[in-house]
Amino acid sequence: MPSRRQTYPKFAVVGHPNKGKSSIVSALALDDTVKISDVPGTTTKQRSFPLSVDGKILYELLDTPGFQRARQVLAWLEKHDVSADKRHEVVQAFINTHKDDAKFNDEIELLTPIMEGAGIIYVVDGSKPYGEEYEAEMEILRWTGQPSMALINHIDESDYSQEWKRALGQYFKMVRTFNPMATDVSQHISILESMAQLKEEWIAPVKQSIKLFEAYHEQMLRQSAEAIAKLVSESLSDVETLTLGDAEAQDVDKKALKEKYKEKLRFLENKTQKQIEKIWNHAHMEKEQALLTFDGIDLFSEEAASVFGLTRKELLITGATSGAVAGAGVDLLLLGHTLFIGGAIGAVVGGVGAYLGFNELSEVKVLGQKLGKRYLQIGPMENRNFPYILLGRAIFHAYHIATRSHALRDVEELSMDNIFKDKWLNEDLRKSLEKYHKMFRSGDEVNVEYMEGYRDLIAGVLEKLIV
Amino acid sequence: MKFKTYLDLYQLLEVDNSTKAQRRAFGLSHVLLKNKPLEQLMAWVKENKQKLKTPLLSDIFTSYLYGISFTLIIVGFVVGFFSGVTLLNYNGHAPVNVIYFMAMVIVLPLLTMTLTLFSMIKAHQSRSVLIHLSPSYWMEKIVALLPRKIQENLENLKLNPLLANWIVIKRSQSIALFFSLGLLVSLLLMVATKDIAFAWSTTLHISPEAFHSFLNTLAFPWRSWFPSAVPSLELIEQSQYFRLGDGLSEKMISHASKLGEWWKFLAFATLFYAIILRFFMLLLATLGWQIAVKKSLFSLEGVSMLLRDMNEPIISTHAQEEELTDTTSKEGVLQTINTLDASYDVAQGWAMSEEQLHVLNDAMGVITPLVYDVGGTNSLEEDAEIIHKSHGEVLLYVKAWEPPTMDYLEVLVKQVDRVIIVPVGTEEQGYKADEKMIQIWIKKLAQIESNKVWLKKRSSGKKAAKETDHAES
Ligand SMILES: Nc1nc2c(ncn2[C@@H]2O[C@H](COP(=O)(O)OP(=O)(O)OP(=O)(O)O)[C@@H](O)[C@H]2O)c(=O)[nH]1
Ligand SMILES: [Mg+2]
Repeated sequence: MPSRRQTYPKFAVVGHPNKGKSSIVSALALDDTVKISDVPGTTTKQRSFPLSVDGKILYELLDTPGFQRARQVLAWLEKHDVSADKRHEVVQAFINTHKDDAKFNDEIELLTPIMEGAGIIYVVDGSKPYGEEYEAEMEILRWTGQPSMALINHIDESDYSQEWKRALGQYFKMVRTFNPMATDVSQHISILESMAQLKEEWIAPVKQSIKLFEAYHEQMLRQSAEAIAKLVSESLSDVETLTLGDAEAQDVDKKALKEKYKEKLRFLENKTQKQIEKIWNHAHMEKEQALLTFDGIDLFSEEAASVFGLTRKELLITGATSGAVAGAGVDLLLLGHTLFIGGAIGAVVGGVGAYLGFNELSEVKVLGQKLGKRYLQIGPMENRNFPYILLGRAIFHAYHIATRSHALRDVEELSMDNIFKDKWLNEDLRKSLEKYHKMFRSGDEVNVEYMEGYRDLIAGVLEKLIV
Repeated sequence: MKFKTYLDLYQLLEVDNSTKAQRRAFGLSHVLLKNKPLEQLMAWVKENKQKLKTPLLSDIFTSYLYGISFTLIIVGFVVGFFSGVTLLNYNGHAPVNVIYFMAMVIVLPLLTMTLTLFSMIKAHQSRSVLIHLSPSYWMEKIVALLPRKIQENLENLKLNPLLANWIVIKRSQSIALFFSLGLLVSLLLMVATKDIAFAWSTTLHISPEAFHSFLNTLAFPWRSWFPSAVPSLELIEQSQYFRLGDGLSEKMISHASKLGEWWKFLAFATLFYAIILRFFMLLLATLGWQIAVKKSLFSLEGVSMLLRDMNEPIISTHAQEEELTDTTSKEGVLQTINTLDASYDVAQGWAMSEEQLHVLNDAMGVITPLVYDVGGTNSLEEDAEIIHKSHGEVLLYVKAWEPPTMDYLEVLVKQVDRVIIVPVGTEEQGYKADEKMIQIWIKKLAQIESNKVWLKKRSSGKKAAKETDHAES
C-alpha cells in the first residue's frame, strides 16, 4: 500500500500550536478557506492540499495540528529506546498504541502522514525567543527519520532568527525564512525549490510542479485581463432605456434613467471584482462583503476621477477629446431608429455639464416609437475619461487581489494613491487603449481578435505590476 | 458552419450548467479537435443538443426565416415579371423604349449592388450613416412580421448586428436575383408571344454613333461571342425615335422587322448585369454570411469561457474537501485578577530558569518560599515530583507568546488549591506581556472550565479587583 501512495511527494507542515502552520499552508496552496486564528489548537485534523493538473496530483501539502503533549510522546519513545535505525518503528508503534487515545489526537494526526512518507516542514515563529521546550518536538521529528526542513515565520516585528537558526541547525539540514502574509511568486517558487531538495526522488516532480504553478499564475493573470477587458467593453457600450408611455419626458425621468445607467455600471464593476477574486481563489471569505474596499470612493465620484482618470492634458494628448462634439452632431443627423441599431430619433436633451471634471457620461435621448411607446435612452458611454477611471480601478483591484496572501483573513481597506496610475499607464499605452475605447464606445460589434488585443494589453499591464 | 449551430449554441449556453471539470473532460476526450475551436464548439453542441427543449429556437427561427425569404422571393419574381411585362407593353402604336428596360436591368442592379457592397463593408457597424439603407433596419421590419413569441425570443437573443446585417444582405440578394429572373422571363415571353418594335428615345442630344459605342462598351462581356447581341450602328440609327414625329416615322416602319433585333441585346444585358452579377453578389453575401456566423459564434456570451474551460488544464492547489467545523468549541468562563497578592506558596516557571524566576518575583513584587522551573527540558518524572511538592496557591509564570500546553496544568490543578497563571513578556519587553497575547491565553484557558485556575490580566493594576471574564473560544 505505501508504494502505491508514494507516487508523488507529500509534505507535512508541523510545529508548535499557533505558529502559523495553517497560514503557511494557506499561502502555499492559495486557499483562503483554511481556518486560521490566534487561538492555539485551531487545526485539529490533518488536511490535504494537493497540487493537481487535470486531476493528476503532483505533490501534496498537509496542514496538521500543533504538538500538544510532545514531552509525553518523547518520554514514551525513549522508554522504548532502540538503535537509531529502528527508531521510526518505535514511532509507528506509538501511533498504533495510541490511535484511539483522545489525549494524543494531535500528535497522532501529525505523525501519521510523516510515517506514511511525508517530508517534514517544521514551522517556528522567529519573532519570539527560542525555548528549550521545542526540543522535545524536534527530537520526535528526528525519530521519524523522514527528511525535514525548518521554516522560520515572523508573526511579529521582533527578530530572534539568529538563535532560532543555531538551534534549528542542530536538527534540520535546511532552514528557510518564509512570510505567509506577503507571499509572491518568487518566494513561493523558492520554497518549492527547497522542498524539492529534501529527497532526490522529489526533485523531478517538484520541478514539474513549479512549472505548473507558473502556468497557473499565468492562467489567472490572463483570465483576470479577460474579465477586465470585458468589463470595459461592456460598460462603454452599455445602453439603458426607460419607457415613457405617452407623457413628455420629465426631468425626473431623465434623472432616474441616469441613475439606472450608473447602477448598471457599478453592478458590472462589482461583478468583475467578484470574478477576479474568484479567479485568484479569494472568493470563499467574506462572501457578502467586499474583500477590498475602495475607501468608499464611488465609481462616479470626483475622487475616482482624480485618482484614476486622466488629466485634461492627458486626454488631449491621447486624442480622446477630439470628436466629442462631432459625435453629438452625428446623432442629430441620424433620424431613425431600429431595434438592433439603437440609432436615434428625436432631440438630444442632455446637457454637456461639468462632470467627472470633464463632460457628461452620456446624453439622454428621447427615442421614438418602439412598439408604439416612446422611451428615453442613455449610452453608449461618451465620457472620454470614464474608460480610464474604470480600467484604473479594475487594475488596481486586480493587482491587490493577485498579490494578496491567502493567509490574510481581514478585509483590506485599500488606500488610494495618486501615483498608482503612473505605475502602469504611459502615453504609448494610453494611445493604444484609446483605439479600443473608441471602438467600444461606438457600440459596433467588436470581434474576438479585437477583444484579444485589448486583453493582451491589460495582461501586459498586470504582468508588469504583479510579477 | 450553420446558422442553426449558432442558435443552438446560444440556447445551450443559456441553460448550460456544466462544471469546469465536465468541460475539461470534454476537451480531453476530444483530443483530435484540439486547437480547432470551431470544431470543438460544433462537437459540443452536437453532444449537448439533447438537453434543449424542443422545438429548438434554431428550428423555429430558421423555418420562419425561410418562410419569409421564400415568400419574398416569390413576390420578387412576380414583381419582376410584371415590371417586365409593363415595360415591354407594346400597343402597336408607340415602339417600346429600350432605355427604360436598360435602366431596369443595368442601372438599377449596378446601383443596388454598389450599395450592397457598401453595406457589406459596413456590416460590422451597428450604426449606419444611412440608416434606412442599413440592412438591420429592414431586419427589424422583418422581425416585426414574426409572431409575438418569437419576437420575444429574438429580443433575448440580441441578434448581433453583424448577423442581422448579413441576414438581410444575403436575403436581399436572392430576392433581387429572382426579381431579375422575373424580368428575363417576361422579356423572353413577350418576345416569343409578341412582335415588339423596340426603339430608343432620349431628350438628351446623343448621336447614334455615341449611343452605339456606349452600348458596345456595355456589351463587352458577350460581344465577342455573340456579335449579333450587340445592336449595329445601322439598327441604332434606324430605331431612334422622336416623339415629335407623332407616330412612327416612315423609316422605322420600313425596318419594322429589324427593330425586334434589340431583344437579344436586352436579354444579354439582363442575363449579365441583373443575373450573373447578382449571382456573384449572392455568392459573396453567402460567403460574408458564413464568415459572420463564424465570427459571431465566437463572440457569443460564454463561448470564450467554454473554450477556455475545454482547453486549459485544470490546475488546483486548494483543499479538496471542506474543513470540518469544530463542534467542540465552547464558551467558557475564566476568572481573572488584575493585581497580585504580596505572597504565594509556590512560584513556578514554565520552561524558565530558576534565576529568571527570582527576577520575575522581584519584578512582580511577590515573595514565594518555593521556586521551581517546570516543563522545558525537565523530564516528566521531575515535573511530577514538583507537582507533588506543590500546595496552596501557586503562581505559574508562562511565556505569554507560547501557547498554553495543557497536560501540565491538568495535573497541577488536581494537586493545589489555586493556580494563578501569569503570562510574561520577553526580557526585552521588561517581562510585560502584550495585551494580544493575554487575550489568547484567556480564550484558551476558558476552555478548561476549572474554578481553581486564575489568570493575571494586567501587568500593572491599582487595586486587587477580582473579576470574572467571559471569553469565547
Ligand atoms: N502578522 C503575522 N501574523 C501571522 C503570521 N503567521 C501567522 N500569523 C498569525 O498567527 C496566528 C496563528 O496562525 P495559524 O496559521 O492559525 O497557526 P497554526 O500554527 O496553524 O495554529 P494551530 O492550528 O492552532 O496549531 C493567526 O492569528 C495568524 O494570523 C505572519 O507571518 N505575520
Ligand atoms: Mg492551524
